[in-house]
Amino acid sequence: MKRRPPLSRRTFLKLTVTVAAGAALAGCSPQESPSLPSDTATGEATSSAPPSPTTRIVPSDTSASEATPAQTNPTETVSPNPEPSPTTSPAYLAVAHGPDPAAITRAAIEALGGMASFVSLGYDVIIKPNICTDYHPPEYATTTNPSVVGTLVSLCLEAGAKRVRVMDYPFGGTPQSAYAISGIAEAVEAVGGEMHIMSRPKYTRVDIPQGKDLTRVEIYPDILEADLLINVPIAKHHGSTRLTLGGKNLMGVILDRNQMHMNLTQRIADLTSLVRPALTVIDAVRILTNHGPTGGNLEDVQQMDTIIASRDIVAADAYATTLFGLTAADIGYIQASAELGLGTMDLTSINIQELNLG
Amino acid sequence: MSLTSWRRVRQAAQILFFTLYIVLIFAVVQKRVAPALADIFFRFDPFSALGAMLASRQWIPKLGLALVTVGVTLLIGRVWCGWICPLGSLLEWVSFHKARKRAASLSPKWRLVKYFLLVTSLALALFGGLTLLVLDPIAIFTRTLTTAILPAIFYAVNSIETVAYKVSFLTPALDGFEGLVRGTLLPVEQPAFAQSLAIAALFFGLIALNLLAHRFWCRYLCPLGALLGLLSKVSLFRPLIGSACTHCTRCAIVCQPGAVDANPEDFHIMPSECTVCLDCMANCKPDDIRFRFRLKPAHPEGFDLSRRQALGALASGAAGALLLGTDLRLRQDNSWRIRPPGVVDESAFLSTCLRCSQCMKICPTTALHPAWTEAGLAGLWTPLVVPRVGYCDYGCTACGQVCPSGAIPLLTLEEKRQAVIGKASIDQNRCLPWASGVPCIVCEEMCPTPQKSIRLEEAEVMDSSSRVITVQRPSVLRDLCIGCGICEHYCPLEGTAAIRVYDA
Repeated sequence: MKRRPPLSRRTFLKLTVTVAAGAALAGCSPQESPSLPSDTATGEATSSAPPSPTTRIVPSDTSASEATPAQTNPTETVSPNPEPSPTTSPAYLAVAHGPDPAAITRAAIEALGGMASFVSLGYDVIIKPNICTDYHPPEYATTTNPSVVGTLVSLCLEAGAKRVRVMDYPFGGTPQSAYAISGIAEAVEAVGGEMHIMSRPKYTRVDIPQGKDLTRVEIYPDILEADLLINVPIAKHHGSTRLTLGGKNLMGVILDRNQMHMNLTQRIADLTSLVRPALTVIDAVRILTNHGPTGGNLEDVQQMDTIIASRDIVAADAYATTLFGLTAADIGYIQASAELGLGTMDLTSINIQELNLG
Repeated sequence: MSLTSWRRVRQAAQILFFTLYIVLIFAVVQKRVAPALADIFFRFDPFSALGAMLASRQWIPKLGLALVTVGVTLLIGRVWCGWICPLGSLLEWVSFHKARKRAASLSPKWRLVKYFLLVTSLALALFGGLTLLVLDPIAIFTRTLTTAILPAIFYAVNSIETVAYKVSFLTPALDGFEGLVRGTLLPVEQPAFAQSLAIAALFFGLIALNLLAHRFWCRYLCPLGALLGLLSKVSLFRPLIGSACTHCTRCAIVCQPGAVDANPEDFHIMPSECTVCLDCMANCKPDDIRFRFRLKPAHPEGFDLSRRQALGALASGAAGALLLGTDLRLRQDNSWRIRPPGVVDESAFLSTCLRCSQCMKICPTTALHPAWTEAGLAGLWTPLVVPRVGYCDYGCTACGQVCPSGAIPLLTLEEKRQAVIGKASIDQNRCLPWASGVPCIVCEEMCPTPQKSIRLEEAEVMDSSSRVITVQRPSVLRDLCIGCGICEHYCPLEGTAAIRVYDA
């Protein structure tokens, strides 16, 4: 007795071939690639590019000549009022000092015009802190301050973002363990943000049209597609680049970091030209002054209670160097980024607003 | 409860324990489980426990749970094999039609192989060698899942996703899937292991043997089954055929492990071979197979080891121990033999390690790999750190937490950070700043020790276009280096790294 199978082999094969052909067709169809940097470089870049520094002349409240280490002039130049007076124009670079990381983060963003000037209703936001390892809790200043990241998530959600994802790709340990040890997972999830794992199969190879040395890179595409990317490095010592700041922090979004080290300074600048974060917030609540980027010594940690924020990643990085007693010219990738026209490292020509929150 | 429901309970137990085993494998991979539960199957395994305790000459409290299995076996026989063992269940579920006929032509004499293996393994253990623990069924299954099957599944999923991500309309669905499984069920990095093909070959070979006889491995080879079989000879309750038997041989036909000796002269169930599946009882027409209380040991079977065979097995274990001991690999410092953190004495490690590969399974960076001959044949499939593939994470103590026998000691994070597993050294002939005048300090950047175990010295060198540039040249501070291998792992040089960790 021969029972008729529910699906004959022939029909099965026919179906399989049809489905496969359909999938292949779909796969070959010219896909719109929003990640293609040509868009970013032309259309979008103009909108998200930092405002031209020359148009903003230093206003009366902060003298540019005082863009020296922040802690040396704590009281005289700054107003005790955490909210900048509504009459002042938004700062090009905001620097906030104070014991409460959340408060100074809010104040710095407010000085730039508030999060509403970055986030529109329904925005999909990505925050990229530095979560490089799962070795040490935040007191060791190896990973971005969780309170700073949490505050930024809140600000975005308050401004109407539909989703705020926080991500990094640690080199020491797994993302899960590093997210947990850094305290960032807890801070972010408490206020409604998502910790996101950058998954390898999703990485895409894109061109860097402005790149001088690095012209092609495998990158996590969401970074390029997000409505807003906020770059939140922690200011740290680093063996080869001397300091790891905003530019260096962007290395977390690509896969092959070995290729970067061949010509690190230029390649960081090239990568910056592709990623172009619309907002850079440098966490200098605690800075790591030696044995970076991995740290592990509390003697190397210095409490600075400072947040630096700007639309211009180069200016933010340039200011951050002063906290270490250096200048932007000392850090190769800041210079290279400035030469690529990604921002200004000339702190005398920009509107810097310093705020002191007691 | 009726017999039918007991059979259902058995099947449910098999599914339950199998599922638990698989869930624990995934849970352990993600550190989502208390370490006490992670190695639970090994802790109930008397073969591994007995071997490790004989070889290391100590009572290992963690493995004391194996006494429970021994106790249950002494009460009603090889319940472990028929109800619990995940490999046994798998071999029961993979059944081939023709196996029954083929099994009939296999001499029952072959059953002695497992007893021979058992005695040889334990004799070897007595001389300090645990090499034959690679044949423990739980270890075989765990090792294969860890090094071959799970990586293959991950590879499949990752490959499909990589292709599917190129189709733009699938992206939201894939993102949703990723959010659910990445970092929980799927590891972030695609794992790959040394020895995975050899390990998989052994496992699938065992399954293929089911073509010759149902549960071939359990019948003829499994040393754990042999140990429990010996205990079952004196178990208090044994399945016995009553006087109402009509010699219809239905029990012999349905018996999974072929434990019914259908010889009309002496028609009986061999307690040492019975896996307590109850199928015979359910199929007995006169309904006269029962668990009956007996104090007297079961009478010997034709395939039991004779005194001469037992002595032969002991002698081969001893001879094996001596021969393995002559391996040059054990007498010589071997730079590739980097052990997990906290392991100090190599020979003590070899006589405690169960070859279970739990450590490889949990290692978040895939730093641990099964050895081939790096530690001599005696160290087959013991864990080695292979830094070029994965570094020992400075923030992790997982391997010591899941090691069932304590071969990898349980360290606090502070202790682990002091535990030296090797020493790095730099090959100046290949290192980029030393040999080629190319700036690179990745090793120093990655070094996790608080004072940095790599020192940088500036030097003026000529680059490829004959310009004089300043590079930083790394050198290792041997006093500080703990050998974690992250420098070797990330060294951007192609092929072998210019900085390498050697066994210290």
